[in-house]
Amino acid sequence: MSKKPYLLLLPVIFLSLIFIVGILYGLIQSFGIIPSLGMKVPTLKYYQELFTRPELLSSIGMSLYIAFVSSILATILGVLICSLLVLTGKGKGKVMHLVKIPIAIPHIVVAMFVMLIFAQSGLLARVLFNLGLLESPNAFPTLLYSQNGIGIILAYLWKEIPFVIFFVITIMANINTSLGEAAENLGASRWRAFIDITLPLSMPSIKNAFLIIFAYNFGAYELPYLLGATAPRAIPVQAYIEYIHPDLLHRPYAMALNGIMFLVSFIIVLIYHRTVQRNPN
Amino acid sequence: MKKRKNILPKLLIYAFIFTILFPLALTAVWAFVGRWPWPRLLPQSFSLRGIEEIFGGYSGAFQTLGSSILLSAVVAILAVIVGTMTARALVLYDFPGKSLIQFSTILPIIIPSTVFAMGTHVLFIKVGLADNVLGVIIVHLICSLPYTVKIMTDVTAAFGGKLEEQAAVLGADSRQIMKEVTLPALMPGLVSSACMAYIISFGQYFVTLIIGGGNVKTFTLIMVPYLQSGDRIIASAYSIVFILSTLLVFIIFELAVRRFKTDENHYYFV
Repeated sequence: MSKKPYLLLLPVIFLSLIFIVGILYGLIQSFGIIPSLGMKVPTLKYYQELFTRPELLSSIGMSLYIAFVSSILATILGVLICSLLVLTGKGKGKVMHLVKIPIAIPHIVVAMFVMLIFAQSGLLARVLFNLGLLESPNAFPTLLYSQNGIGIILAYLWKEIPFVIFFVITIMANINTSLGEAAENLGASRWRAFIDITLPLSMPSIKNAFLIIFAYNFGAYELPYLLGATAPRAIPVQAYIEYIHPDLLHRPYAMALNGIMFLVSFIIVLIYHRTVQRNPN
Repeated sequence: MKKRKNILPKLLIYAFIFTILFPLALTAVWAFVGRWPWPRLLPQSFSLRGIEEIFGGYSGAFQTLGSSILLSAVVAILAVIVGTMTARALVLYDFPGKSLIQFSTILPIIIPSTVFAMGTHVLFIKVGLADNVLGVIIVHLICSLPYTVKIMTDVTAAFGGKLEEQAAVLGADSRQIMKEVTLPALMPGLVSSACMAYIISFGQYFVTLIIGGGNVKTFTLIMVPYLQSGDRIIASAYSIVFILSTLLVFIIFELAVRRFKTDENHYYFV
């Protein structure tokens, strides 16, 4: 074969190498190897401590909780609305332009949306107060900066329900027009055809959408930082605190927390890659 | 009975659209609020305090907006070029290691940028790319590549190499093929991947914070303190400027391409 594909791939190979080497540098430090600080002996100490220091353990729990709840809800609601769009034939044109909006808006702006609406002095509390359903702002449940993580989850939903729709709709619409309508012609009702044919065949794509947002919600810094509780902190927030700690000996803790995030997301990548290889659209 | 069945899905779709648009409208109002005390449902007074904070000059936000747009535009253009090259190799050729390349192009979507940023920071300190613009451009590029590669792969696969082969058979040289066949066919993909890469770069917070190390200020970076302090008016003003400037850049991308297209047509008819 010619060398041409490799020439075209030169820049992406270079950038991928930076990415991989960067991650390896972090992982090496997670095993306590920082030669400039005189730490040269690999150890699992920092990982072991993660599972014995209660605040670090609860960080892991917090991140898993946020990631699971937000990505499961986003996937279910996204698929539901996507199905409605496909079945009502509204999945084209104007509506899809609107669906793209949240994808283009960064998480920090979405964090502000949540503050404006769901803070204790936010719009929702004001509406309830004026309806006589609330006595004071303090009577409004704390959704932000709270252990229940509801503010973070709401923000993820706003951004990711549209993402799921966007990710799934093309394939779902194609399957529905080809096979779903064939089933209808054979006498199945519209909904039956959709549930028995279109939905199962769209599954690989739905699964991938879920994996992408789960990995993101598990490892992203912005929303837990802006809307999360101070204890327990999500893993990325805790990792950054350890990372910028004036005592450089805290660095391996940051990297070990990153190591956990890496492990979880790497498993996700492997599953994702396998699904894509098996179902190349 | 049948009629009622049809109303519910539509209602749900409208409710969904409302939840998308409502926060945007609320932010647009907050950006111009003077006072809006509890428990009022409507603002008590309006002012330009938020907008003046950004454009007034003393905060430096306007300059930062300019340099931020420039940085992200550079990232977008590079991401489109690299994405197009990668997509071409992946779609038109079969070669050993193809699956590995595909695998590594999706990594940055799924491996958290927190992990990537801290590790890469350590690497960049060693090679002198930490705390400067070049380092930030490189990491933004890495973050946006999965998207541009995906979009360009779809577009390239849709038109394939057949048109180019036909042009070659008809006697076009490689420069003509590029100009008359390949670029026009890729145009819609080029615009959407440029927009996507731009958004990812422009909205990036954590990665810029770590790799830029405070030396590289972006609009997103200077906006966060207002969010933390709970200054809703200024934070809303920043958000609105953020969104409008992004729209403006998208329009410029679209127009740049459209101009290119008419030039092409002109050339074509002469």
